[in-house]
Amino acid sequence: MLTKRKSGQAGRTRLQTLMGTVASAPIDRRTFLRRSGLAVGGMAAIGSFQLGTVQKAAAISPPQPGEPIELKKSICTHCAVGCTVTAEVQNGVWTGQEPSWDSPINRGSHCAKGASVRELVHSDRRLKYPMKLVGGRWERTSWDDAINEIGDKMMEIREASGPDSVYWMGSAKFSNEGTYLFRKLAAFWGTNNQDHQARICHSTTVSGVANTWGYGAMTNSFNDIRNSKTMIIMGGNPAEAHPISLQHLLEGKELNHANFVVIDPRFTRTAAHATEYVRLRSGTDIAVLWGMLWHIFQNGWEDKEFIAQRVYGMDEIRKEVEKYPPDEVERISGVPGEQLKRVAELFATQKPATLIWCMGQTQHTVGTANVRASCILCLATGNVGKPGTGANIFRGHDNVQGATDIGLDVVTLPFYYGLTEGAWNHWARVWEVSYEDLLARFDSKEIMETPGIPLTRWFDATSLPKDEVEQRDTVRAMFVQGHASNSITRIPESMKGLSKLDLLVVADPHPTTWASLAVQAGRTDNMYLLPVCTQFETSGSRVASNRSIQWGEQIVAPSFEQKDDYQVIYRLAQKLGVAEQMFKNIAVEDDRPVPEDVLREMNRGGWSTGYCGQSPERLKAHMKNQHKFDLVTLRAPKDDPEVGGDYYGLPWPCWGKPELRHPGTPNLYNPDLHVMDGGSPFRARFGVERNGETLLAEGSYTKGSELTDGYPEFTMAVLKKLGWDADLTAEERGVIEKIGSDIDKVSWSTDLSGGIQRVVLSHGCHPYGNGKARAVAWNLPDPIPTHREPIYTPRVDLVEKYPTLPDAMQFRVPNMGFTVQQAAIEKGIAKDFPLILTSGRLVEYEGGGEETRSNRWLAELQQEMFLEINPADANERGISDGGWVWVTGAENNSRARVKALVTERVGRGVTFMPFHFGGWFQGEDLRANYPEGTDPYVLGESANSITTYGYDPVTNMQEPKVTLCQVQAA
Amino acid sequence: MARMKFLCDADRCIECNACVTACKNEHDVPWGINRRRVVTINDGKPGERSVSMACMHCTDAPCAAVCPVDCFYTTADAVVLHSKDLCIGCGYCFYACPFGAPQYPRVSNFGSRGKMDKCTFCAAGPEADSTEIEYAKYGANRLAEGKLPLCAEMCSTKSLLAGDGEIIAAIYKERVTQRGYGSGAWGWQTAYRETITV
Amino acid sequence: MQVLKRVRPIGPVLAAVVLAFGLLVAPAGAQEGLSGSNPTAQAVNEQQLLEELNRIQGRVSIPDAKAATLEQPRGRDFRSFHEGALPWIGGIAIIGILLLLGLFYFVRGRIRMRSPESGVKVVRFNTIERLTHWVTATAFIVLAITGLNFVFGKRLLMPLIGPDAFSAWSQWAKYTHDFFSWAFMLGILVMLVLWVWDNLPDRYDGQWLRVGGGFFDKSNRTHPPAARFNAGQKLIFWSVIIGGIALTVSGLFMLFPFAYADVNGMQLAQTIHAIVGVLMVAVIIAHIYIGTLGMEGAYEAMGSGTVDLNWAKEHHSVWVEKQGAKTEPSQPAPTPAE
Repeated sequence: MLTKRKSGQAGRTRLQTLMGTVASAPIDRRTFLRRSGLAVGGMAAIGSFQLGTVQKAAAISPPQPGEPIELKKSICTHCAVGCTVTAEVQNGVWTGQEPSWDSPINRGSHCAKGASVRELVHSDRRLKYPMKLVGGRWERTSWDDAINEIGDKMMEIREASGPDSVYWMGSAKFSNEGTYLFRKLAAFWGTNNQDHQARICHSTTVSGVANTWGYGAMTNSFNDIRNSKTMIIMGGNPAEAHPISLQHLLEGKELNHANFVVIDPRFTRTAAHATEYVRLRSGTDIAVLWGMLWHIFQNGWEDKEFIAQRVYGMDEIRKEVEKYPPDEVERISGVPGEQLKRVAELFATQKPATLIWCMGQTQHTVGTANVRASCILCLATGNVGKPGTGANIFRGHDNVQGATDIGLDVVTLPFYYGLTEGAWNHWARVWEVSYEDLLARFDSKEIMETPGIPLTRWFDATSLPKDEVEQRDTVRAMFVQGHASNSITRIPESMKGLSKLDLLVVADPHPTTWASLAVQAGRTDNMYLLPVCTQFETSGSRVASNRSIQWGEQIVAPSFEQKDDYQVIYRLAQKLGVAEQMFKNIAVEDDRPVPEDVLREMNRGGWSTGYCGQSPERLKAHMKNQHKFDLVTLRAPKDDPEVGGDYYGLPWPCWGKPELRHPGTPNLYNPDLHVMDGGSPFRARFGVERNGETLLAEGSYTKGSELTDGYPEFTMAVLKKLGWDADLTAEERGVIEKIGSDIDKVSWSTDLSGGIQRVVLSHGCHPYGNGKARAVAWNLPDPIPTHREPIYTPRVDLVEKYPTLPDAMQFRVPNMGFTVQQAAIEKGIAKDFPLILTSGRLVEYEGGGEETRSNRWLAELQQEMFLEINPADANERGISDGGWVWVTGAENNSRARVKALVTERVGRGVTFMPFHFGGWFQGEDLRANYPEGTDPYVLGESANSITTYGYDPVTNMQEPKVTLCQVQAA
Repeated sequence: MARMKFLCDADRCIECNACVTACKNEHDVPWGINRRRVVTINDGKPGERSVSMACMHCTDAPCAAVCPVDCFYTTADAVVLHSKDLCIGCGYCFYACPFGAPQYPRVSNFGSRGKMDKCTFCAAGPEADSTEIEYAKYGANRLAEGKLPLCAEMCSTKSLLAGDGEIIAAIYKERVTQRGYGSGAWGWQTAYRETITV
Repeated sequence: MQVLKRVRPIGPVLAAVVLAFGLLVAPAGAQEGLSGSNPTAQAVNEQQLLEELNRIQGRVSIPDAKAATLEQPRGRDFRSFHEGALPWIGGIAIIGILLLLGLFYFVRGRIRMRSPESGVKVVRFNTIERLTHWVTATAFIVLAITGLNFVFGKRLLMPLIGPDAFSAWSQWAKYTHDFFSWAFMLGILVMLVLWVWDNLPDRYDGQWLRVGGGFFDKSNRTHPPAARFNAGQKLIFWSVIIGGIALTVSGLFMLFPFAYADVNGMQLAQTIHAIVGVLMVAVIIAHIYIGTLGMEGAYEAMGSGTVDLNWAKEHHSVWVEKQGAKTEPSQPAPTPAE
């Protein structure tokens, strides 16, 4: 097909022939290092990085003609879609990226970030050496000194204040294995004060969804959305946050002539491709969802059979929904009843229909309730548990799903076992350490079983008086590995915490805003920056949003003194004296724990979530055989020798031991498949009966099940009752007998032999039981979701009827939301700050953005922090497009200087800021606060310097999606 | 003989800028030079559409016609390329180009605006295929390796198509037939004096 | 930052364009119409946009404002002018004037003085005037050659010397054109100041023009009266001034591309520059002819700065009288002939 393009010839040149003869040595790692050092342009380069004035910097790693190319595969680190990255490596240098055609998830595609990840590794803005703040100046130090000093300081704090005074902030950017080790280190240190980004992105999803039907994860997959006839995206902008997902969504839209409805306060780039756009007021999701259900119940569009068989408590919902007739919904949300009726009818009748959401629903004081209402809408219409349906929750970081599952979270040990004594015992068995040893590491048994402090509140836990924090002492040290500070709300408040800490350690590929803000807050000492590898410089597995687990190879070795997460954790564990116990069953080579071994240990303990079948060997076979998986079903042909019958990435739950070859679960809760084909019922997680009503499924069961009705989760007792215990092998029985004094209580999730799961599956049943989903979650503050006004609302008239929940102690710290809401009304905040401020993502950047703003290919595309404002609001204030404005916030006299983008994308009275910027504070450029040469190309004000108080009662999720602000021309 | 073309299906383009960074990454294009860009029309309003645009490799290319030193040439695949050794940086091609494709390293015109740079359809320039000198001047030569332009290959939603005009037109037609409406084959009438009718 | 500053002036212009554009295409009441709409069905249409504005403008996040123009098919018109009309206009103007002058020379021959030289010299142009003239003239000739190279080089010269040499020459020609332009621009300004009073129309111009300056009187008897400059010279002066200013302004746009104009403005600037340029070349060729070969004694005026009294009386009788009046009772020319 392709022909050589040589026939047309322009004039030849003397120069060319001359230069062609210059012998060119291939670039080896040495040359590469030299070049990457030289390419540092410093501030001078920044100055010249303006339109047009360009010096062509010598390419750091151009392709090397004639040198052999090695292809390596890893996973993009910028969102949870899970795109495969194919790297061309020559002489140990990453010289090019090729499309990953074989991946069923991205099929060669990337977004701006994925197409430029090579530059992340090469960026000359990275931390190259460990740095230490001495008298307000950054100095280079060595790893040994840094770890020793950090460890000593931690032990000192532990002596004086107890283990809970050290906070372990981990990352959704860890691999599963890194997450697991970090979680394990916190356990061995003796605290539950360990958390990661899921707190501020989908913690409310996890709590809300898991409390509805068992697991808090995306039910289906991106690929499966191709089957949908109706998609509602409510509170999400995947065109910018998850661009590759749009490939599946838009193709689905075309193939099925699907309805593509976007419900959002902002006319997003996703909305531009919708077939119906619904604009609601920020923070009124429940009213809109109930408004839709009102029409559904009114017209009898609900799926009565589905509700009868698989849902508990829908009648109580019906009663609540009656309180939301169209006029009330319009009064609250601004959405007209006719439009909502149209959308409701589509969702209920043009099936399969899926509801997709992101942080537009989760990041609210009512986040958990929002998400629950969304699940209930799916349940009422029977839109869950089938292809093309489901609650498709798009997660944000490459491994935020994995890090959540692995329990890098204040409320649980790995895989949602919780913090109960039984949970600790389970993990003590897996780790082969004694429970008593673990207990001794904690201040008390009580605190060992008490959830820790969520990362949204770290600075409150640092700066509040000691007696207001429910642990021995306040938080005195932060160990931050891979988490931005500017993605947490209330930056002005966090400044207090930054200056008060006795120790601040940031282990990251970049200094991040922790560095620039800490220096700004007046910090001069006791702060360390440890250079860490990107995921491309190490290996390990990561979980995409659809629960598929993919193994990433190491593409290149780190260029300078960067160490990977495993090495950092191992060194610290050594220093803290817990390495021997922690790595008892994990091989360590050259001071680097072997990730394959870490994964095997996870497999041995991850029964509750079906993380037991995904051995490193199986995962690697999947990466090797990517091309064999079907685009829509994600399944490989059954006769394939290596991956036969598997679903791509063995999406969890993948039951039993790897040898059982469970194929993974592509769509959760789908009873139309056999359990060994990935079928499953709703999880019987909430008991068997409530108020005389059964909580087990009625007349619904997975295909080929020997039990043709609901059943509880499997324990030895149940197994015995059915007589299936005879199927256990002697070996399995031996393991089970060792587990507890009461063998009957050993369950599918604590049985380390995997025998119970194996036997249950062989009978076509599901280990976790066959229950009903809960429309009413009686253990939550709002068992039935109800609309509650945001803390800072422009609609003060609605607060009396829809107030936020009362103040309460949550997660060891007070949640004063009610008091703050009342005070705001008394002070007339809504008059002085009349504009709603909401925040969101840009396609070019991710998270706190320091990493992506250090990538020159991306930084060029978004060079300035901005605020979107409606033309009407801009006119009133004399603001012109592209002009500077001051944004002032409702708390702490906060202010930010940004460029105005005047656009109808936001409605009147609404403003929007992207949350990826940092490195400015209240109009001041903090570039000088970074260690030399590590400042990102682009800096700007953080949206979170304006965001305000507000925490979800269930997870202490922050509220960056609705607050109030005022804007004036600068 | 293949007739290479680009086609941006605006109904699919979500302005993710993958094409832009893929191009930058593949060819090491310096800051300030944008061989490819995504322009959003009616930004923030109903009807908003984004179109990824670069050199369209026109039939009877205006840039080539107005070049005072005739540094352009068209390959057998109908890719419009130029020689940076011959280019004098006068800027005429930018005035003639309907698509804003030519880029210059300098803004001022004193002496020269530098050698013009533009999309090469990943076919580089007149130097010997896949040599270091060719890479330094024009970037990678994917066509010589039997690969298509990386921008299109990496397009997030398969909106941007690159390849033989007839083949990509057929892909687009199939899409339009399936979904029931077209998105206009932006730039085709101007670049190729034809459009795709379904 | 410097660069940004320079670019800034287009910002408002473009913004206005974008705004105007937005108003045109956005459906009325877009603000209210947003919610409840079907954005897919409302997608903008290329054909319609082109029909409305002949240019498609959008928004880009990069600071390069001209990147926001998605399509400007007008580039095709620029091309057709540049490669179609322009070489013809230039060719006809230049070859045409050469032919006319040849014909004139053949028919009329050199215009000689009627009376013999008086031996008395009159100062016609002082040093500053001559310096200005020659600086401007030199610059113009350089600019003309290097400028014409942009139109005719690839057609005439490249086939002779090959693309490499031609490119090298053109590169230098371009540098030269850009830098010599400043001398030309300065020259035009000084000329304007020096000579504008003497080039204002006066009562002799009508008669001078009626008899064609006597150029076509083969007997050489017609010498209409003229002040310092006759109507023909005034025409040259004003063509040089107006043409020069047009070249200066359009040239400045091109020296600072996109600083003061968008792409269509740049096209216009280039078009004006090219047309005025070739016409100026034609005019100046005629000027050179008359100033040298065409008329006896004319070159001296700008060469040495002095002319013979009799020549002055024949061609600029009124001026000579005025000069004489000024210097009565002595000889009209203060400079004794050597």
